[in-house]
Amino acid sequence: MNRGLPIPSALEQKRYRPTGSARRSERIVVALLMACALGTIALSVLIVLMLLRESWSFFSSPNVSLTQFLFGTRWTALEVRDLEKVEFGIWPLLSGTLRVTGIAMLIAWPMGLITAIYLSEFASNRVRKILKPSLEILAGIPTVVFGYFAVLLISPGLQWISPSFDTFNATSAGIAVGILCLPLVCSLAEDALSAVPTSLREAVYSLGGTRMNTALNVVLPSALSGVISAMLLAFSRALGETMVVALAAGTLATFTLDPRQQSQTMTGFIVEMLKSDLEYGTVQYYSLFGVALALFVITFVMTLLGQLIRRRYREVYQ
Amino acid sequence: MTELPKALQEFKPNEASERTELQRRRDRWFRALCLAVGCSSIAILFLLLVSIAYQGSSSLNGTFLSASHDPENPARAGMYPSIVGSVILCTLCAIISLPIGVAAAVYLEEFQPKNRWLLRLHGLVQLNIANLAGVPSVVYGLLGLTLFVYMFQLFGKLEQNQVSGIDFWGIQRYYQFVTADDLAVIFVLMDESRESTLKIESVRPAFDTNFRPIELQVWDPATPQPTDPEVLGRTVRKGDVGALVEIYSWYYFRLPFGPSLLAAALTLSLVILPIIVIASQEALRAVPSSMREASAGMGATRWQTTQQVTLPAALPGVLTGAILAMGRAIGEAAPIFVVLGGNIAKRTGPEHLMDSCVTMPILIFAWADNPVEQYRQLAAAAIIVLVALLLVMNSMAIYLRGRS
Repeated sequence: MNRGLPIPSALEQKRYRPTGSARRSERIVVALLMACALGTIALSVLIVLMLLRESWSFFSSPNVSLTQFLFGTRWTALEVRDLEKVEFGIWPLLSGTLRVTGIAMLIAWPMGLITAIYLSEFASNRVRKILKPSLEILAGIPTVVFGYFAVLLISPGLQWISPSFDTFNATSAGIAVGILCLPLVCSLAEDALSAVPTSLREAVYSLGGTRMNTALNVVLPSALSGVISAMLLAFSRALGETMVVALAAGTLATFTLDPRQQSQTMTGFIVEMLKSDLEYGTVQYYSLFGVALALFVITFVMTLLGQLIRRRYREVYQ
Repeated sequence: MTELPKALQEFKPNEASERTELQRRRDRWFRALCLAVGCSSIAILFLLLVSIAYQGSSSLNGTFLSASHDPENPARAGMYPSIVGSVILCTLCAIISLPIGVAAAVYLEEFQPKNRWLLRLHGLVQLNIANLAGVPSVVYGLLGLTLFVYMFQLFGKLEQNQVSGIDFWGIQRYYQFVTADDLAVIFVLMDESRESTLKIESVRPAFDTNFRPIELQVWDPATPQPTDPEVLGRTVRKGDVGALVEIYSWYYFRLPFGPSLLAAALTLSLVILPIIVIASQEALRAVPSSMREASAGMGATRWQTTQQVTLPAALPGVLTGAILAMGRAIGEAAPIFVVLGGNIAKRTGPEHLMDSCVTMPILIFAWADNPVEQYRQLAAAAIIVLVALLLVMNSMAIYLRGRS
């Protein structure tokens, strides 16, 4: 994997040695560059330390128990002011997050994957010239705009279909997050699909297969690890999406499966808590770090899994 | 993408079995489905842009671009401070994260170690960067909140609306007095006593409104008033009480940063750092290794090669990635909301590093969340401005990519 240039042996044996000052400054520069690269590790360590330290202030409070946090089904950190009576059970927030993310993935996975298949297997150059920039623009639109779109158009649309939808509901937020994740799934999956060598496709054609056979029976299975990793990355992106749910999903933490209800998500709760007048230092305030820790752990596992699947199961073609 | 082989192109249906006919029909349907799904994303984009343009275009005018937020009257509200704020924030962000990001990418791509353990570390850094790109931006916001805004409360508890922490430089404290003729204001330099008001008794170093030093005269009201208007312009009544004013230079610096421009810029730089690293790595990887070999063949060291050959060759790609990252930074709302809070009342852009700052996404969020219908229309107008800015940035990126 050594892509850096191999130093010619003449240089290695120092027969054509570069000037001394160049070598000295080289050492300093390399040390600086390395410091920058290692700085990214320090950043990860800092994130973990920060989350552990701040959420310790939450978990160590006598009003909070870990079992209640992990298995409780009521979350009243914002509604109840009396600390003795506040209940910290993560499940309403977690279920809200999973509802929104689930709906988002119902849209982003199939649509993103099919668009990727179309782009890599079928699209003529003319269609590609329109479709690819559109997806890039869609990917570049700020998330707060999707939140606004959900409130402006998706929610009224859903209420027009069925009046039982709340003004703020999991479905409209989920649809907006899904649209937001679609370009991500599409571009990552397309990368994976187009990495499959042409010779495999030619083999299918020579056996009399159609393009659909090629795409579904050969190219997709060969690129499966890349596709799955794209899906996982989109999933973790949707879990951490903040502004859309803060605008469109509502502020009520509900433990339910009904997608028509309000559903505060973990990220939505973090925003609401920061908007509220609760002071830095109260247990309720620190609860947002507990929530953030849970969110971080889930997204971290998803992303790591995605990366590892992509690395480990990538079929290497010459 | 390959062309169908000739034999298959000249495929004769009457020779095919029914099974192949079925396969071909399925193929056509599948292709139509793919096309429909692909086009639907264009349709969604179109719907999104049109509905927002329809909602917002009526509020988009000169006043809207030059005014600031008005909590009472939506017709007079505007987004000028947020435009300035977003641009300054983004520039700062680029200054901070571009050098670090490109340096990390250069190290990862051009200086791969030979030592087995260092190589393993290398892989770890690589995996770590991919993971950092997947950390939700709101978590970065919380990191910024504890690390930059409160600094783990090492400098005492930071309360709202209260000065605390340590000032380093860029701040001047004065007491403000009205001159004896009530026509001008004079600033008296604060001394070591650090009182919040000053009762003037004797002559002190003083400045006029342009902060040029002047010779202060203290006039005892029991004695006759000086008559020369020039002298009167630098005279204050004895016993007057002056209030404290703080004048900040743009480089004003204090610890902890508090909810300030610098804290927001640092936080946002962390958010876009992995994006810049990944994009720069891709750009460096696209430089053919023959170029590096040629450079090495002429006796250049690795750093000389990188500096003089690889980086210039990869520059368009690096810049493309940088612009896309900037686009992400300018549209990012969650971390800034966590660090700066949702306050949009500011009437100017940020004036110094520790000043608060309004950005476009925060303004859009606050307006979209407002129960008053007119503000929600303003949010749409602000979205038009933001998306237009992003489109300009994206087309710059596409142009650069075309040249690389």
